[in-house]
Amino acid sequence: MSALAVKVEPCQRCDSALEVEDLRCPVCGLTAPPPPRAAVERARARVVRCDSCGAAVEYSVEAKAPRCDYCGSVTHVETTADPVEQAQAWLPFTVDPEAARGALMGFLGRGGFFRPSGLAQEASLESLRPVWWPAWMFDAGVDVSWTADSNAGARRSEWAPHAGRTRFDFEDISVPASRGLKVKECEALAPHYQRGSARDTQVGPEGAHVERFESTRSGARKSVLDAVERLSLERLKQGVIPGRIFRNIHVAVALSSLRTRRLALPVYVMAYRYRDKPYRVLVHGQDAGVVLGDAPISAWRVAAAVLAVLVVLAGLLYAAGMH
Amino acid sequence: MAEPTQTREPPSSLAEPLLHLGCQSCGARLMLEPALRTTRCPYCAAPAVVERPPVPGVPEPVFALGFALTHTTAKAHVARWLRTRSRFTRSGIRSASPGEVKGVYVPAYLYSVLAQARYRASIGENYQETETYTTTENGKTVTRTRTVTRTEWRPLEGELSGYVADVLVTASKGLENAELEALEPFDLRALARYTPALISGWMAEEPSLTLEECRALARREAVDRVGVKLTRFMPGDSYRELQHQARLEWEALDVCLLPVWVLAVKYAEDAPPLRVLVNGQTGAVHGKAPISPWKVLAAVVFVLALLAVGWLLTSGGGR
Repeated sequence: MSALAVKVEPCQRCDSALEVEDLRCPVCGLTAPPPPRAAVERARARVVRCDSCGAAVEYSVEAKAPRCDYCGSVTHVETTADPVEQAQAWLPFTVDPEAARGALMGFLGRGGFFRPSGLAQEASLESLRPVWWPAWMFDAGVDVSWTADSNAGARRSEWAPHAGRTRFDFEDISVPASRGLKVKECEALAPHYQRGSARDTQVGPEGAHVERFESTRSGARKSVLDAVERLSLERLKQGVIPGRIFRNIHVAVALSSLRTRRLALPVYVMAYRYRDKPYRVLVHGQDAGVVLGDAPISAWRVAAAVLAVLVVLAGLLYAAGMH
Repeated sequence: MAEPTQTREPPSSLAEPLLHLGCQSCGARLMLEPALRTTRCPYCAAPAVVERPPVPGVPEPVFALGFALTHTTAKAHVARWLRTRSRFTRSGIRSASPGEVKGVYVPAYLYSVLAQARYRASIGENYQETETYTTTENGKTVTRTRTVTRTEWRPLEGELSGYVADVLVTASKGLENAELEALEPFDLRALARYTPALISGWMAEEPSLTLEECRALARREAVDRVGVKLTRFMPGDSYRELQHQARLEWEALDVCLLPVWVLAVKYAEDAPPLRVLVNGQTGAVHGKAPISPWKVLAAVVFVLALLAVGWLLTSGGGR
């Protein structure tokens, strides 16, 4: 994480954060200030020399870079880097494995009517893995221009056109980057993390697995921009566009001050077995009250419920017929 | 008018004199055209990149896109392009073989801006209506109903704000903006920060259009793009009378060197060679193959003759 040490000024036009290697702002396209170059005093015909052997270097199409024909060494050219980056900060596990196991038992015991009766006793815990899953977290200000049709102000047609411009501020919006967890699971887990607790080091149970970010920097930016558009659209529907029903919603966003962090978020992934069938359950790493997962359903109990409903219905029909 | 780098006036008429510089490799005198950024020593073949003191109004390149297409691939692209021209092009073009291919770094401006547009349009919202009409059925007049779709026009005014990035306009007199547009798109993800090593050994031009001309071109293109965006932005089932005015803020303009393969195709002794351009990154080919008026005339006459014969035959058969 040495790149973090180098502080880069944000984009002058849109105030979005830039990375060291960025040649242009990824949001608005403004050129990042170039490193100072020595002014040329007198005209000269400069022969570009190879750093290793001193021969003249020419740009080579095959190498897609300047290459020395004599020693074959390739000169590095500054382009926009697109690395796969790893987490900048880790949120600590505040739920220990024992508590997570307890949370699972509570989840199985809570069950509800359709759960098999002996579930909590018969289920056997197969594995309990503490995992840090990757997510991007962003803050951004968005200037949203929109148009839409809605029922408000409609005359002869059911629809009337509307347009507007508004500003949204998004804070601490997480965009899951995990491949191991489903999007739904990520969305259910994300709101329950304590944002302020991010650390530079991993604090958690021994042997916790860190799921790596898989997409590159440009891929990450695309995911974040997609999320901004999606969220803007949702917020527009909640009271900004007049009316109750909408269609043809068009959104154009101009982002400013986009800040993205790469976080590792703690979760327990558990597997238990009940009557030879495996089930997967997630327990939140910072809030044992959040448990997601599947549990078996008792076929007998479902059948009994259906039967009971049928009996009641039949009874009602019979009573109606007697009348 | 053959090639972009050779359309210049003789050096004597240019304001700037030829530069005389020493070759850093063998010490020979190099004569340099002011419009070029690179040269090669005629004695020792050492490639050199010219560095000049800054000239007001002529910015230094900030970016360059390296060539990704080799000499032979570029030639093959042109050969295929020539073969697939229309039958009406002048004779010799479809069978011509591409001549010498030259790789040139053409200067262009990369422009980006924050555009705030105000627009006004008439939005059409459709609705269905049942109308009654009378018609004649089996000799009797009957009244029927039918559903018709009508459009209600509603005025709409609004604003659209957004960044317009990645606008490229030519900065070279040798390459017209329309030609550049025909070669676009370039993949700007491969953009590299300009360094002399990137153009060493290749021909590179200095910007020859003034900054003001290029900025005007870029502004026009940005406003056009906002217009295109607006056509997709309109709600309703249809729209008409869409007008917009864009206010451009926060302009940024940087010189970017673009890779272009240029070649002249000699297809006839008496005609000037045909200029063909190839995008040095994607291989897109652009050129204006001249149409032969004789071939078009011959085709028209042939079709007319065919029609006449057909008419004669049918009227002859009818007699």
